[in-house]
This record gives sequence, structure tokens and C-alpha cells, in this order.
Amino acid sequence: MEPVTHRRLRVLFALFAVATVVLSLRTAYWQTLGRDQLLAQATVQIRSDLVLAANRGVIRDRTGAILATTVPLRSLYAIPARMPDHAAAATALAPLLGMTVADIRERLDSGAEWLYLRRRLAEPAADAVAALALPGLGFELEPKRLYPNDAIGAHVLGFVDDEGVGRSGIEGRYDDVLSGRSGSLVVERDPANRTLAVGLRSAIPPRDGSDLTLTLDLAVQAAAERELALALQKEKATGGSVVVLDPRDGAVIALASAPSFDPGHVGAAASQSLRDHATGLVYEPGSTMKAITIAAAIDQHVVTPTTTYNDVGYAVVGGRVLHNALGKSYGTTTVTQILERSANAGAAFVAGKLGADQLHRYLEAFGFGAPTGIDLVGEAGGEVRALAEWYPVDVGTVAFGQGISVTPLQLASAYAAIANGGTLYRPYVVASRRDADGEHRTAPVAVRRVISEDTAASLRRMLLSTVDNGIAKNASITGFSVAGKTGTAEIAGSDGKYIDDQYVSSFAGFAPAEDPRFVAVIVLERPQSRLLGTLTAMAAFRGMALDALRYARVQPDRAR
Amino acid sequence: MFFLVALVYVSATTTLSATGYESQRLEQQRDELRRQNALLEVEVARLDSPTRIVAEAKRLGLVHPAQVTVVSPESLSIKR
Repeated sequence: MEPVTHRRLRVLFALFAVATVVLSLRTAYWQTLGRDQLLAQATVQIRSDLVLAANRGVIRDRTGAILATTVPLRSLYAIPARMPDHAAAATALAPLLGMTVADIRERLDSGAEWLYLRRRLAEPAADAVAALALPGLGFELEPKRLYPNDAIGAHVLGFVDDEGVGRSGIEGRYDDVLSGRSGSLVVERDPANRTLAVGLRSAIPPRDGSDLTLTLDLAVQAAAERELALALQKEKATGGSVVVLDPRDGAVIALASAPSFDPGHVGAAASQSLRDHATGLVYEPGSTMKAITIAAAIDQHVVTPTTTYNDVGYAVVGGRVLHNALGKSYGTTTVTQILERSANAGAAFVAGKLGADQLHRYLEAFGFGAPTGIDLVGEAGGEVRALAEWYPVDVGTVAFGQGISVTPLQLASAYAAIANGGTLYRPYVVASRRDADGEHRTAPVAVRRVISEDTAASLRRMLLSTVDNGIAKNASITGFSVAGKTGTAEIAGSDGKYIDDQYVSSFAGFAPAEDPRFVAVIVLERPQSRLLGTLTAMAAFRGMALDALRYARVQPDRAR
Repeated sequence: MFFLVALVYVSATTTLSATGYESQRLEQQRDELRRQNALLEVEVARLDSPTRIVAEAKRLGLVHPAQVTVVSPESLSIKR
């Protein structure tokens, strides 16, 4: 073997020396001048910036029952390239996901690198998919708004969209309060995506949304919706609503509207079912308005409950003849009997004594013609035309609820003023808000005094007599005094004329009559029995009132 | 001496990393338990729902009472 010459060794040594110098210089470069660049590249590889989502607040009823809450549910994603057999996977997943095999295959073969197969799976389905242990599948947690009572209180609660933003009802009105503020977390991760204990960690904690407690009573709300559904079914009515208020402070105990929807599956709801008829339906109230007219006249001392007039079946106002319903005439009639018999001519007589100016003033004082200011979105204001636009006949027709439009909520609010002794309260739904600083209770707002306590007491007795002795007998409840008034109104068409044989039937009342614990307004739109729709409305009131009185442990105030 | 210091340093760092991973595992376990708890709360609310209770009562053949008798405390004290 030829010995290695010194020359060759020197060359080899020189090469190593050069390489060592080059590597040393390169290392020195990365340690000094290139350090920032290298650090930036490394940071990109191991650093993880996360958004820490705030938890959306829980909505509860007045007893603490959960009405809406947010829970992270598992969303199933797929990385098709890591799935060896798309056909077998699709066949296994289809029954668990409620999808067709073809649909899953189409998604897996779409060419996407990463895709959701199904978002926010129910727990049993997610458990079943996890048990399959198929390669290329994984779960991500995504928040889901859940409504444990399904459609109960849907219009009050509203709903959230796919992005978790509140769109109507309480969810929409209080979205900024419920949603909170997201935080952030910056950490370094190892190749297994685990957070490094030694390394960068910077966190801004999220601020969770506030929890809301509503004035709503779930049991009464369920009773109101049950009775409304029964009434609509019986009458084949196109829609309806129930408003139940606590007259002592304007708190909303129940607010039901039909047709309704399930806030957890709002995508499947018909668009017209999203409309809240309790706060958004504007209709002519009909005879329920007579109580307001008479309250104004008694408050102005132009009539008393015992003032009489001779009822000939009609009244002439502004040159127009206004008839009683069904052409009836009653002879000598007291103001109390105007309510008991629901005499249009009597209401026109009272309004004539009161005058258009005062009637208009009281209508506005009772809150008609403007939104009540309830803390829900989409409230309508109804219409009380300006006094200057009134024809002479209007003082007569408005007196019995024609030529004026109201919402069920406005009417309930006005009757609450009669029930509580004369004060109009602003209806409200959120009783309190709880955040990190504690509980913040809503203070009831007394808008104004509308009538005197004496006037209110007179009206309560007159409305009690209307149920005990008059047209609203079907609203009576054994053991309890009930006060109230029926209303049947024609429906105006787009041409301004009334549509033949189509009505809105309603009942407005409260119980117990002398110490009212709730005021309720029931409205049925286009009932099949037409003029007899008020009987169904009263039956709905009775059914709901029985439950409301029992749940509130109200002592009967009458012998059986 | 140098090797001893290095050994202590490596040992401490390893322990810290292991504890960090264990901490993460426990945090994940805590989050999952909280999630399960939230789901159970929803389930309780669902079972408490008046609609479900009424439907269940009907299924069992229960009906609303035709009359509810309320006994006033005054009448009780008179009888005593």
C-alpha cells in the first residue's frame, strides 16, 4: 500500500481548517447579526396565538330556571389525505351523522385538505364517532347556544346566529352584555402541540358575558303558550298573542306569540313565525278600549259609574250613526252597564261628555301611540292620529276602539295602570344582570300617573261587574274575583276599508280584582267563530290565570 | 463541579417540563369536566321543563284537578 504523503495530509488539513473557519463564521453570524431572523423563524414554528373566547351569559327565569346557556360541543373535522378508505369511512359515519353516504363521500373527495363534516354534534353522536377511532378524523370544540325549554319563550329570548351574535329578543337587545369580551393567549408549543412549561407565555384573560335573570316565570309562560296554542287550534286563527304583566311594577311575567319557532333550530323556522305579535302586532282593539274611555271620563268627573243615558241602539256622532253590536238597544243604561253590555252607543255617549281633546290626551297618557319602551327589539308603537286629523265622528269610534291601533303590550300596560291604582309603568323583561362586580337589579320605571286612585278603584269594580254580571262572564274563576273586558275589532284592509267577516278577538283582564297580581291580554287573529272568538279568548285567560294564581300561591278572595 | 451543576440544571428543567405537561393534562381534564357539568345542567333544565313534565304527566294518565281546595289559616284557628 502506498504511504500517505505529507502533501496530501496538508491538503486535507487545510480543507478541514477552511471548513471549520466557514462554519465558525456562519455560526457566529447566526449568533450575532442573523440572530433576530433565526429567532423570528423559530418563533413562528413554535409560537401559538390563541383567541380565548368569552363565555356567553346564561339567561334564567325569575325562579332561576335556565332558559338559554352556551356549552362547547364537538365539531367533527376530516383530513381526507390521512383517511385510507373514504368509502368505508363514509359508510360508518353516515348513520351517526344523519347524512347520506354519498354526501360524505362527496365532501371527502372534494379535494379539500381540511373540512368540517358536521359541526356541534350532539354528545351521543360525538361519542359514537370517537369510538370508531377512524384515522384522519378529529374534534374541535365550538360553542353552541342551547335552549332547554325548546320553543317556550322563543320571542322573548330571541336567538343567536351561527357566529353567536344575538339577533332578536333578549339575545339581540342585550347582545353586548351577554357576549362579554374575548381574551388572548400566546404560548410556545412543542411538536406534539403541547404548551412548553419553560418559555413564552402571555395571556389576557377573557371577560365572560353577564348572566341575565328575567322577570319571566317559566311556569306561567308555559301555561300562556299552552292556552294560546289550544285557542288557535280551536279557532283555526292565523295568529295570536298573550301578555301577562305584574301591574305593581310593569314586570313581564309571560309574553307569548304565535306562530312561534324553536330558537335552537331557527334555520328551520318560517320567516313569519319570527315576528313577535305581542309587541309588534298593531290592531284595532275594539271594545277593550271602552274601559280606557270611561276611565278618562270618570277621572274628569264628567260621568260616574251610576250616570245613566237612554240607549236607543245607536248614537249619532259627527253626523254619522254608530250602532251597538247586533243592533241591540238597552233603554236606560248606567255607565257600569256600558261595560257589562259592551254598548257602543254608550261609549260614544261617554266620549261625547268627555270631548275629543280630553279623550286624545288620556289616550296618550295611557301610553297609546308610542312604544312602551320595553327592553326588547322590534316593538311597534301603534297609532293615535293627531287630534288635528280627527274627524268629528272619531271621538265616537275611538271611544269603542275603532280608528286607533294598539299593540297587545300597550293594552296590557294600560290595564295594568287601572289595576295598580292609576300609575303607568314601563314594561320590562330583564330583572337583574350579574357580572364580576355582582348583581345589578333593574329599577322599575313609573312613567306617569294617568288616573287617580279613586278612578282606578271605580274601574276595577266596574270591570269586576263586567265579569260577574256582564259580557265577560266566561272569564270568571271559582274562588277568585276577576275583572276584565272583551274586545272584537274588525280588520282594516290595505284599501282602508274593513274586511268582511274577519275580526280580532281579545280579552283584557286581571285577578284578583281588588288586589291584582297579574294583568293579562289575550289576542286571537281571525278566529273561525268570528264574533264568538272572545269566548275562546276568555277560556284561554281562565286556563292561564288558574295556573298563574296557583303558582303564585295567591289565596282565593271569594267563597266557592 | 461543572458536570454536577449541568446535571442539576438538566434535571430541574426536565422536572419542570414534565410538571408543565401534567398541569396541561389536568387543565384539559378540568375543562372537560366543566363542559360535562354544563351539559348536565342543560339536561336538568330540560327534564324540569314544564312542557316535558305536562307531557309525561299526560302519559301517566294524570289530569288537572277539577277543583283545588285552599284552607285559610283563619278557619283553622277558629276550630281549635
